Amino acid sequence: MPDAIVLRGLTKTFGDTVAVRDLDLVVPQGALYGVIGPNGAGKTTAIRMILSILMPDRGELSVLGRRSAMEAKDRIGYLPEERGLYKRMRVGQFLAYMAHLKADEGPDLRVRIRAWLERVGLAEVEMKRCEELSKGMQQKVQFLAAIIHRPDLLILDEPFSGLDPVNQRLLRELVRDEHQRGATVLFSTHVMIHAEQLCDHVVMIHRGVKVLDDEIGSIRARFDPRSVLFEALDPAADVSALARVPGVQHVRKDGALWDISLAPTADRASVIQMVAAAVPPARVELRRPSLEDVFINIVSEAAAEADDDTLRAAVREDAGGPREARR
Amino acid sequence: MKKILHIAEREFLATAGTKAFIFAVLVTPVVVGVLILIMSRMWREGPPRVEGEVAIVDQTGQVAAGVQAFLKPDRIAERRQKAYRRMQEAMPPALRAAAGGEDRSKKGIERAFESALGEVPQLSVLALDSGSDVEAAKGPLRATPAKESGAPERLALIVVHADAVERKPGADRFGSYELFVRSKLDVRLTDEIGDGIRDAIVGARIRRSGLDRREVEALTNVDRVPSRTVSTAGEGRTNELLNQLIPAALLGLLLVSVLMSGQYLLTTTVEEKSNRVVEVLLSAVSPMELMVGKILGQFAVGLLVLALYLGLGVIALLSFASLGLLDPTLIVFLLLFYLLAYLSVGAFMAAIGSAVNEMREAQGLMTPVMMVIMIPWFLWMPISRDPNSVLATVLSFVPPLSNFVIMLRLASSTPPPIWQTLLAIVAGAAGVYASLWFAARVFRIGLLMYGKPPNLATLIRWARTG
Repeated sequence: MPDAIVLRGLTKTFGDTVAVRDLDLVVPQGALYGVIGPNGAGKTTAIRMILSILMPDRGELSVLGRRSAMEAKDRIGYLPEERGLYKRMRVGQFLAYMAHLKADEGPDLRVRIRAWLERVGLAEVEMKRCEELSKGMQQKVQFLAAIIHRPDLLILDEPFSGLDPVNQRLLRELVRDEHQRGATVLFSTHVMIHAEQLCDHVVMIHRGVKVLDDEIGSIRARFDPRSVLFEALDPAADVSALARVPGVQHVRKDGALWDISLAPTADRASVIQMVAAAVPPARVELRRPSLEDVFINIVSEAAAEADDDTLRAAVREDAGGPREARR
Repeated sequence: MKKILHIAEREFLATAGTKAFIFAVLVTPVVVGVLILIMSRMWREGPPRVEGEVAIVDQTGQVAAGVQAFLKPDRIAERRQKAYRRMQEAMPPALRAAAGGEDRSKKGIERAFESALGEVPQLSVLALDSGSDVEAAKGPLRATPAKESGAPERLALIVVHADAVERKPGADRFGSYELFVRSKLDVRLTDEIGDGIRDAIVGARIRRSGLDRREVEALTNVDRVPSRTVSTAGEGRTNELLNQLIPAALLGLLLVSVLMSGQYLLTTTVEEKSNRVVEVLLSAVSPMELMVGKILGQFAVGLLVLALYLGLGVIALLSFASLGLLDPTLIVFLLLFYLLAYLSVGAFMAAIGSAVNEMREAQGLMTPVMMVIMIPWFLWMPISRDPNSVLATVLSFVPPLSNFVIMLRLASSTPPPIWQTLLAIVAGAAGVYASLWFAARVFRIGLLMYGKPPNLATLIRWARTG
């Protein structure tokens, strides 16, 4: 079974700016991949090259076993970051039109459209004009336009941006359903938490260069947690005993919690047992690194310029402010 | 191919299915028709009744009586009758029939004729002393006499020069006359008075020379007859008016349909871009497919406009029983040159639409295109007067003008030789190829380009590097 996406040394420059540099990527069929990185990292450019909307300056690619996405367009579903609708078109008409453009002329198309609209809670809008919908409703319709033709490869560029938490959850479910149906899913996001919640493999891009490409599990293993979160059962308890536990390097207060750093050689299991014995705990847990931590870690290692707080802000939900559109 | 047809279908329905389009295409002719009707009604209102006196200072002493006779109301009415009969004879039978049969039309035209000229003016001619002071005689032209005084209003003052009937010794030319009129006097009345003086002076001169006026008039008059066009289809009266109108109508039709569909193409492309729907489309079709589909869709819109107006024109000609004036091959040529002109202009419009972010930015780029399209309109007169002039011939081979110019020439009374028509088609096709090539390159780059609006130089750079 050929891989769904194979990129080799893909490079794209706009004027003096290198948007994507020597990108290698293999997405196996049936995988659920997240491409993460702050705004302007090169995610959208990479996706547009995968879809043959932009041509790379250098490098090779294959999509669904073809030399270009052009030859496999009908099997791909795409939700661009800059998404739009025909304002004056009716919702049902719009979805049918998009399906037709993907060569989906199935006799059951109307039935499927109705079923999908019901599934996303928009049963009553089929005959409404797109401009009459709220922004959230429009986004659901746009997502349906990307999957209505049952694509083998689904590419979503910042699918969660602009959605409220309830609709974010609905979208996650829909993406998982598509994945379970057998579609390969590749989505990009600048919000690390969305990738953590959804995918099993992440690719991290920073300034046009891939800095990480791994399973979520092995990333966690690689960025081995060396700290324990501790909350005392009695908030007024004396926690000085914690510092004396063998294997503990130092103890730092973190709000109502205590952050216990372990020595590099310490055995986590025994330290946790001893910590619990030293002070009665309400909670003791190994602090698992978030993708955000991993990203900060990689980027600050790569370049001394980065100030942690700025980097963290760039990969959180509220970072999706207006940004200059470019090709 | 099926995708292209889907795009074309959507494009067509999204344009021709809107109220705005139906309004523009169907309601505009109705509005124009109603306006014409109102205008003709207003025209029929005619000028108000005129009453007053015309003073004459006749320095020859031989003209005043003639003017007096000429301006008598019954003589004016008589002359109008004659003019009306002449006009009726000159009118083509088809038009007469169109006005509703021989009898009805006679009355109708007579009525229209009378109302156009207004009621016969009631003029009295007052001969002043030949030595009167002209300045003093002008006085009443400025004043408005009180109604109750009963004194007639002075409308005009004629001063006939002393040598108007008899030349001064040694002079080649006769003298003339001067005509002073009250302000805002109806121009038709001024003409009438002028005719009267000239007639009276000519009469006096002829009398003076001892000739018989009737004889002179008979000698100098040759009836003007309408020409008859001889063609393979037979012989018929030359219909000069329609012969000029048909080329202009065909050119107008071509321009309107090309402009209309080109404009729609621009609008929908800008809309897709500013709606951000374009990227979704590009994930399904190539830029070329998208462009071709859109161009095809708007081609159909233009064709619809063309068919509608052409149909109206044919119905109008049918009702005037003058369909024979429209050569069917002209319709074939019209469709062919619509195709060529639309493709070359439309491709440019699509390219411009893809390059800008909103309609406002398109205006600057549109100007050169519009100027080129308007050239044939400005050159309509010189080309239709002399369809085989060097200018017309050269322009027939310069795309995209060639499509319009050759159409005008084909519809004229002296169509160009067949080789020129063929060459114009080849030139038009080359123009289509060039602009499609240009548009395809600009379109591909422009669609995903947001931000600073490009200028023409940028578009050319894109086309060269694209």
